[in-house]
Amino acid sequence: MTHATPVLARAVPSPSPLSFWAKTGREKDEIYQVLRADHPVSWQPPAEGSMMPQQGDDAGYWAVVRHADVITVSRDPETFSSARGIQMEDVPDDISEAASSFLATDAPRHTHLRRLVSSAFTPRRLRTLEGQLKVEAKTIVDQLIERGDGGDFVRDLSARLPMWTVFTLMGVPESQRLRVAETAAEMVAWADEDVQAGREPAEVLHEALLSLISTGLNLAEERRRNPQDDLLTNLVQAEIDGQRLTDEEISAFFVLLSVGGNDTTRQTTSHAALALTEHRRQREWLMADFDGRIGHAVEEMVRWATPVMTFRRTALRDTVLNGQEISEGDWVVMFYQSANRDETVFDRPWDFDLSRDPNPHVGFGGGGPHFCLGYQLAKTQLRIIFDELLHRVPDFEVADPVRLRSNFIDGITSMPYRLNLR
Amino acid sequence: MRVTVNSDKCQGIGMCEERLPELFEIQRGGYAVVLQAEVPEGLEGEVRAAVARCPTGSLSLAD
Repeated sequence: MTHATPVLARAVPSPSPLSFWAKTGREKDEIYQVLRADHPVSWQPPAEGSMMPQQGDDAGYWAVVRHADVITVSRDPETFSSARGIQMEDVPDDISEAASSFLATDAPRHTHLRRLVSSAFTPRRLRTLEGQLKVEAKTIVDQLIERGDGGDFVRDLSARLPMWTVFTLMGVPESQRLRVAETAAEMVAWADEDVQAGREPAEVLHEALLSLISTGLNLAEERRRNPQDDLLTNLVQAEIDGQRLTDEEISAFFVLLSVGGNDTTRQTTSHAALALTEHRRQREWLMADFDGRIGHAVEEMVRWATPVMTFRRTALRDTVLNGQEISEGDWVVMFYQSANRDETVFDRPWDFDLSRDPNPHVGFGGGGPHFCLGYQLAKTQLRIIFDELLHRVPDFEVADPVRLRSNFIDGITSMPYRLNLR
Repeated sequence: MRVTVNSDKCQGIGMCEERLPELFEIQRGGYAVVLQAEVPEGLEGEVRAAVARCPTGSLSLAD
């Protein structure tokens, strides 16, 4: 493999140090802005704080920060592979395989696995979930109101509907739900010191993963014995060209759902609540015609939050991206929060503008075969929870978010609230 | 105007169905199926948008 060793130009700012990820969104974007303008595809040293430092002289990655380039990378899976891992920092192989399910695969395996899952995850099937989601959202806000002030917005609101949704889809018994939720949170919080509690990051991840896999295997086995009318049963029974998902594949999908389907929507809810507090005019605009405006509003909430900040690909061949030569084997990291503030695409990108139209954000990915499977479910949940919350607690406020330390998920781990009920 | 789906590329993401449920449906094979051979009058603009926005580039226009 020929590799043109890139020169690390000292003038190029970097999102690799841990200190970068402790900055606020705006502070990070000051750096992204420089990169977007002057170094749109820049070679960076390996992400700091990795649990497994990248080996070799080739260690490092190409930082892709522009909207158009994120889309180019996403839509060219034959050049930019997901099969060698998709995290910005290196993750031990066994964890990567078990945790990533079809997220970290390429065609044809990816096509096969995703088809099996999406055939059970159709828009029509998800529409049947809507009625139940509304009932659950009402219960959540009932309990929030009953509790009064003094709670935690994340635990008492943001986390609840996404968790309920994943558990309902996968048929997790009530008695297991709290434990599984906590374990799922540990899957992304490995770098956070509070979560570590003395353990090594890899240990946190490993334990959480084993726990979720075991739960997933038990659930799959249970559904084969006793089919129900739910997504999990559809998954165990789904067959394409005579092939079914194995229990391991179903279990990996459960892990994926627990993180991808749970954490992301929760984070967007928290970030949106903060934005609705800090931008009262936007809240007023939305409430003036909620039903007519919530569709657009939800897209802006996703663009604003962009909870998944980075995903990595690996170049399978020498290629050129936006004029920059990339060698086979090079890591390429997409920075979605940068793409979603790209000033060549978004007018006034740092305005939280619920009427923004068009809004071609890449919060669900830049396109291509890995585009977020649950994007409609996510939007539906956001619509339903804010419908309930904004109509019944119209003057709620949140503040002082406690942020997750991560180069992957932009997380809020807890946040105080005031209901301000009349 | 006719629109076709490349069922090898299609991942059943469903944006086309979301936009035009009378014309596209993600069926049990996990990919989109075009429900009407000929695009009904008046929907040409929406169909062009669906083709442009398809994340996997699986839709094509003919005629």
